[in-house]
Amino acid sequence: MDGFVLTLWLVRLLFLLALYAFLFMVVRVLLRDLRAASRGPAELGRLVVLAAPGGEPPAGTTFPLDALTTLGRDVNNAIVIDDPFASADHAVLTFRGRAWYVEDLESTNGTFVNGVPVERVAPLGFGDELQVGEVRFRLDRGRA
Amino acid sequence: MSVVAQARPRTASRWRIRPRPRPTELTLLVLVAAALVIGAASLGATQRFRATVDAGATVKALDFGPPDPRGLLVYLSALAVVHGLLVLAGRRTDQVLFPATALLGGIGLLLMQRLPQGLVTQSFFGMELLLGQLQLFWLLLALAVIALLALIVRSDAWLRTYKYTWAAAGIGLLLATFVFGSDVNGARLTLSIGPLSGQPSELLKVILVVFLAGYLSENRSLLSDESTNLGPFRLPPLPYLAPMVAMVAIALSIVVVQKDLGAALLFFAVFLALLYVATGRPSYVVGGLALFLLGSVVLYHLFGHVQQRVDNWLDPFADPLGVGYQTVQALYAFARGGLLGVGLGAGLPTISGRLPIPAVHTDYPLAALGEELGLIGLLAILGLYLVVIQRGLRIAASAHDDFRALLAAGLALVVGVQAFIIAAGNLKVIPLTGITLPFISYGGSSLLANAVVVGLLLALSDRGPEPPAVPRPGRGRLPWLRWRTR
Repeated sequence: MDGFVLTLWLVRLLFLLALYAFLFMVVRVLLRDLRAASRGPAELGRLVVLAAPGGEPPAGTTFPLDALTTLGRDVNNAIVIDDPFASADHAVLTFRGRAWYVEDLESTNGTFVNGVPVERVAPLGFGDELQVGEVRFRLDRGRA
Repeated sequence: MSVVAQARPRTASRWRIRPRPRPTELTLLVLVAAALVIGAASLGATQRFRATVDAGATVKALDFGPPDPRGLLVYLSALAVVHGLLVLAGRRTDQVLFPATALLGGIGLLLMQRLPQGLVTQSFFGMELLLGQLQLFWLLLALAVIALLALIVRSDAWLRTYKYTWAAAGIGLLLATFVFGSDVNGARLTLSIGPLSGQPSELLKVILVVFLAGYLSENRSLLSDESTNLGPFRLPPLPYLAPMVAMVAIALSIVVVQKDLGAALLFFAVFLALLYVATGRPSYVVGGLALFLLGSVVLYHLFGHVQQRVDNWLDPFADPLGVGYQTVQALYAFARGGLLGVGLGAGLPTISGRLPIPAVHTDYPLAALGEELGLIGLLAILGLYLVVIQRGLRIAASAHDDFRALLAAGLALVVGVQAFIIAAGNLKVIPLTGITLPFISYGGSSLLANAVVVGLLLALSDRGPEPPAVPRPGRGRLPWLRWRTR
């Protein structure tokens, strides 16, 4: 009789043990995942071309961004925008701390974030739409 | 805004099946199955042992057969089927979330098979279903919802674009409950359409998160940078806050009028949390908490049922056989459980033929689990909820844009906050509010709404197609070819 009670007690503990075995495995997976994530994303962000009336750069193109990325018609820019409405040195994207900012370099036709004209500097969130000349971009997070 | 959710080339290969193994998920699911089988064996053996001893007979052998082997088998095979579907879909989605919810659901199934089966009965097409079978039925539906959402949701545009429509639909649903609903336990929560009945406030929590994520991601920079100046004070930008506050206020007031205080608390907590996640301004949280305290005091003095709940929380022993009965019995149950618990199937003695905790299957499953699994078991269950929250926040952190990030964070928080509100209520840390324990409590609407949350989180965690492997020069070529190019 006592042997039965002892067996039941052991099976009971086995169930609790099984719950913790699951949690232990999960924590191992999570730790591996966090370590992989702490190596940091390879890129700070990426700019996706949504629409370009001139066809250059073509829609769907993605540009990985450096902490300081210049946009404009001039060939010395990091992202060259071949658009008649873009200025030679049109705008610059900067990554400061944890967020992206767009700075309008006194372009002729202005820079727009979600359709709102930028006065000097404006914050740019992930998923926001950026318009330079007639070319529309979207800022996305960088791929891990 | 006509934002295409993902700039992924859509070609004819969209429907081609490209399986991708999910080894982590498979390992975890095997552990889940092992734990559930051991739990069911322990439950069955304990129940038979006690029945024999109570009948005065001597025990000759232990029978480790589960109380409902067919039900358990059906649940485990359903898990295997969902895993198979996720493998066939070949998407790079989260592999921890599904096993964690599967274990929580399984524990709920064990509990429902263990409780007196006559607690809830319902007949479907002439078939009489008991508590355990009903829970299994809803769990299977929930698994189907998870699989469906994880497989087919690829774009989030249908959530993002129609956020006001969703919000209106949710409010409409709640209003319909108020007008056509039926009263259960003094609260009007249940809406019945034909043979189906459900609690729309469970679904509303998902809709509210979708709306808040959509609105906040659009106006995030405005809310975090702008401010309204009122004399010397800098206040949050009121014009941009107004639509959101109005939406939440409508939801809250309806819920308060319906006496569903748990849902009201949940909505408000999630609203504040998402506002903080989106803006990073602690002033919103401080202001929100101040508003909450003020509102609580007002509600306490205005409504009798709030007063009753709070008084019962402060001193349940004032009326241990009347109003305080459930609270007192739940505390006794936790105390009986102790560190290791009395074992599945050994707790919950009936008092003069009735259950000590009448709402044990909906509001107090944690008390039953605390009695039978003890503190150690409770901590494991709370740990499982933490895992769900962690996965949600991790998915949010690696999301492509603000809407997906806010949506993932909000969905995870809505489940986590709900679990902790009801756990705290069971343990008499805060006044009890009648909401369900996600994935464990009995109830179709609760299980299905939480399944929608898990399914959406799985879909949101998709990391997209694998980047092409870096070609390595010289490997895989024929030797003479290498020689020639040299």
